[in-house]
Amino acid sequence: MASVIVAIVASLFLLFIVGPVAGLVGSGGGRGLASLVSDSELRQSLSLTALTATTATFLGILGGTPIAYVLARRTFRGKALLAAIMDLPLVIPHPVAGIALLLVLGRGTTLGSALYAAGLRVAGSPTGIICAMLFVSAPLYVSAARESFARVDARFEAVARTLGDDAWRAFRRVTLPLSARGLTAAAIVMWARAVSEFGAIVILTYNPKVASVLSYDRFTAFGLQEALPVAAVLVLLALVPLAALRALRKE
Amino acid sequence: MIGLLAAADTLVLFVAASLTKPLQPVLDAFTAQTGIVVQRESGASLEHVRKITDLHRVPDVLLLADADVFPRYLMPAHATWYADFARNRMVVAYTPKSRHAAEITADNWMSILQRGDVEIGRTDPRIAPVGYRTLLMFQLAERYYKKPGLAKSLFDHAPDRNIRPNAAELAALLAAGELDYIYDYQSVAESNGFRYVVLPPQIDLGDAHREKDYESVSVQVRGASPGTTTTVRGEPILYGMTIPRAAPHPVSADRFVAYLFSPAVVKQLRDAHVDMLANPVVHGSGAPAGLRGGAGR
Repeated sequence: MASVIVAIVASLFLLFIVGPVAGLVGSGGGRGLASLVSDSELRQSLSLTALTATTATFLGILGGTPIAYVLARRTFRGKALLAAIMDLPLVIPHPVAGIALLLVLGRGTTLGSALYAAGLRVAGSPTGIICAMLFVSAPLYVSAARESFARVDARFEAVARTLGDDAWRAFRRVTLPLSARGLTAAAIVMWARAVSEFGAIVILTYNPKVASVLSYDRFTAFGLQEALPVAAVLVLLALVPLAALRALRKE
Repeated sequence: MIGLLAAADTLVLFVAASLTKPLQPVLDAFTAQTGIVVQRESGASLEHVRKITDLHRVPDVLLLADADVFPRYLMPAHATWYADFARNRMVVAYTPKSRHAAEITADNWMSILQRGDVEIGRTDPRIAPVGYRTLLMFQLAERYYKKPGLAKSLFDHAPDRNIRPNAAELAALLAAGELDYIYDYQSVAESNGFRYVVLPPQIDLGDAHREKDYESVSVQVRGASPGTTTTVRGEPILYGMTIPRAAPHPVSADRFVAYLFSPAVVKQLRDAHVDMLANPVVHGSGAPAGLRGGAGR
């Protein structure tokens, strides 16, 4: 009896997730893909989205991997605080995250005015988009990467150290290969999150428009019928990272 | 508990972004007086239109920055009447932190804003009335100051990266120091405590008697479907409001409208720098009895 109930609940949940997506692709998918040919604004937006999300992900990997490793391996005072800080961006409402970034990187601030004087414009540029994406999605990478590292038995690293490797070599030759799949999955999740961000980006950089902002713009200006193809194309393209994730798991 | 929640009446309000700040105390007082809970949604006019026409989320009262939006998008399917209720003017707003803030005057604003070392922002003309009104003002300025090419130059100096979807978001950027100057409504500048350059009435779209002058300029904005454009002519800025046909709480809506146009509230809004008309001007049929018969301008 219990398994029947569980099956029903699971099916309803699955329907709840699949339904809207299928409906979206069904009503806009064909037109969306077709419009890729003629709609240069859509193409530019999609490539801008892919470029900024990928850059943000690389930066996240660069900065987040050491933090994830330290959180997985070391015990130190303030560790719980560090972990909590890394999770903070996840709970901040997205427009608030954008405002928070503006308060630090905006032209009117100490850091921001220095950047501006050096020619690096944050708000109103792809840099702003990357900052917003990085801020909201990095925590996902860090926490998943931390799990991957934690799952690698620390004794393997210890053995490598006794055999003469220094810390970096042990990491590179032992830890990294063993956690590579987990780290890749973490990066893909971060990338997917970056692509779907809207609220924080819109505060910092409205133009040029990434795909999420464009779909909102199309909806506001032209209505649902015109926004659906953009959204449907996004969904279809989002299948790419999902397929990559699946391929990883199959190995 | 559920019974308590159901007992409190509700009012769903869609309001133009530029009106939200001055209106908030009025809404609070309305709730205090009547016990009706107000659910306020703020945004650009077209954002609200889409919610109604495409998402079928209909408010009880709709307050927009461009009275023209009603006949263009909402009548007769979603509304049978609308009322003009306030005026506004275009200004150039800035703060003490803005570059050249100490120099700018009503006579030299154009040259300062063409200097290239200032960040100038404007609103998206494709979704917000203040956006296309900015473009109309550029054209009027070109004719008034007799400087060919001025409109294009002003346009070029307020680039895409400094565009924001509505008047309030633009104001937020100015307040944050991200922009030096913005083209926005006088009411927004006042309610945010910005300084502003008063523009000549011949170009600020604020004078109800200069309809003929304003009409002589027009801009092309994006039409109802991609690839199409629509011509928008200059006209005096008029805010409009309506109670949509499918308003979910018509009784609350009527009470609010009566409250909004009561002399005390009109005065309160005027003190908050909203240029309310002496009497709302009603177009169409089916408006509440209290509204009709206004002498207007």
